[in-house]
Amino acid sequence: MSPRLFALIPAAVAINLVIGRVVAELALPVYLDTLGTMVVAILAGLPGGLLVGTISQLLAGMLSGYQWLAFVPIQWLIALLAAGAARSGGFASPWRSGLWGAACGLACGLVSAGISYLLFKGVTAGGVTAIGALFRSLGASLPVAVTAASLSTDLIDKTVAFLVVGALLRALPRRILGRFPLAARAVGR
Amino acid sequence: MSAGLARAAHPFTSGAVALALALLAMLAPAPTGPPVAYAAVCVAVIATGVGRAVLIGLAVSVPLWLLLVVMHGVLGEGARLATPVGGTLSISGLAWAVEQGSRLAAIVTASLGFARAFDPHRFLQAAIARRWPFAAAFLVVATLDAMTRFGEQAIRLREAQRTRGLRVRGSLRARARAVPALIFPLLLASLTDADEQVLALETRGLTAPGRRTAIDPPPDTRLDRLVRWGSLLVVLVAIWIRVR
Repeated sequence: MSPRLFALIPAAVAINLVIGRVVAELALPVYLDTLGTMVVAILAGLPGGLLVGTISQLLAGMLSGYQWLAFVPIQWLIALLAAGAARSGGFASPWRSGLWGAACGLACGLVSAGISYLLFKGVTAGGVTAIGALFRSLGASLPVAVTAASLSTDLIDKTVAFLVVGALLRALPRRILGRFPLAARAVGR
Repeated sequence: MSAGLARAAHPFTSGAVALALALLAMLAPAPTGPPVAYAAVCVAVIATGVGRAVLIGLAVSVPLWLLLVVMHGVLGEGARLATPVGGTLSISGLAWAVEQGSRLAAIVTASLGFARAFDPHRFLQAAIARRWPFAAAFLVVATLDAMTRFGEQAIRLREAQRTRGLRVRGSLRARARAVPALIFPLLLASLTDADEQVLALETRGLTAPGRRTAIDPPPDTRLDRLVRWGSLLVVLVAIWIRVR
C-alpha cells in the first residue's frame, strides 16, 4: 500500500463519520455518510474505496452498535459504482454525476431493502424507518414499505452524494488532480 | 471486579468479550433469551467499569424501540391485544419488538462498552507486540485520531459559518442550503491534510518492511487469555445449542 493511500484512508473514514454526523444534525432526509468512500474509490481506485467503506462501517459499529456491520456490502457497492463512474467520466458534468448517483441510489436501495427486511424486519435508522412506517400506515405490506422507503431515501442520498463529489472533483486544483489519474479521467481532463 | 477492569485488561480481551456478548445476544433464543442477554450485557459493562455505556446505549436504543413498537406493534398484523390507554397492538408484532429491541440494545451496549474501554495507544502497542500487520493497526489508530481532528474542525467551521450568517435551523430549504458551506471546506481540508501527511509517513518509513518493536506493550496475563478462550468457548457452545 502506498503512503498516499495510507494518508488518504484515515482522512476519508473520518470524513464519512464526521460529515454523516454534521448532516444528521441538520435533520435532512439524506445521510451523506459515504462521501469519503466515494472520494477514495475515485482518487485511489476500487481497493482503497472498499477498505474505507469497511473501516467506516467497523468504526460506526463500534460507536453505535455492531449490528450495522450488516450494511458493509452497501459501502462496497458504492465504492464499486463510484470507481465505475470515474472510469467512464461520470463526474465530468453535474448531469452525469446526477445520473450515476440515481443509478447508485437504485442499486443501493434494493440491496439495503433486502438487508433491512431480512435481518431487521424494516427497523434500522430513524428516517428511513419513519418513511417505512408511513408507507405501512397507508396500507403497504412490510416488504413493499421497506423497499419503497429504502429506494426513496437512497435515491435522494446517493444522487446528492454524487453531485457533491462531482462538484468537489471539478473544483480541485490541477496540482492535486494531477496526482490521481483516475480522478482526472472522472472529470474528463 | 474492580472499577476500570475493562480498561486495565489487554485490548484484545475487551474486544473479544464485546464481540462474544454481541454474538450471544444474536444467538439467544426468544422469547426470554434476548432480554436476559441484554440484562447480562448491562451487568457486565457496569461491573467492568464502563457503566456509562448503558446510559449511552439507552439513548441509542430508545428511538429504535419506539420504531419497533410502531412498525410491528401498532402497524403489525395478526391477533391483537387491547392496551390500557386505548387502541390495540399486534401480539406477534409486540413479541418481535421486544425480542429484536433487546438484541439490538445488547449489541449496542456491548459495542459502546468496548468503545469506552478502547485506548488507541495500547491497542497499537499490543498489535505490534503480537506481530499483527503494522499497516492495519496504524490505520485504526490514525483513523480515530483523524476523527477527533475533523470532528473539532467541523464544530469550528459551523460556528465560523454561523457568524457569517449561515442558518443551520429553520425550513428544509434553509438547512439544505447550509450543506455545501459546511461540508466542502471539510472535504477539501481532508484532501490537503492527507497530501501533507504523505511526506511525514514516507519519512518515518511507514511502508518499510521489517519487524517493529513495541515500546510499552500492555501485559497479556493468564487471566486475559483465559477470558478470551472462555469467550470463544461460550460462543461455540451457544452456536451448538442453537443448531443441534
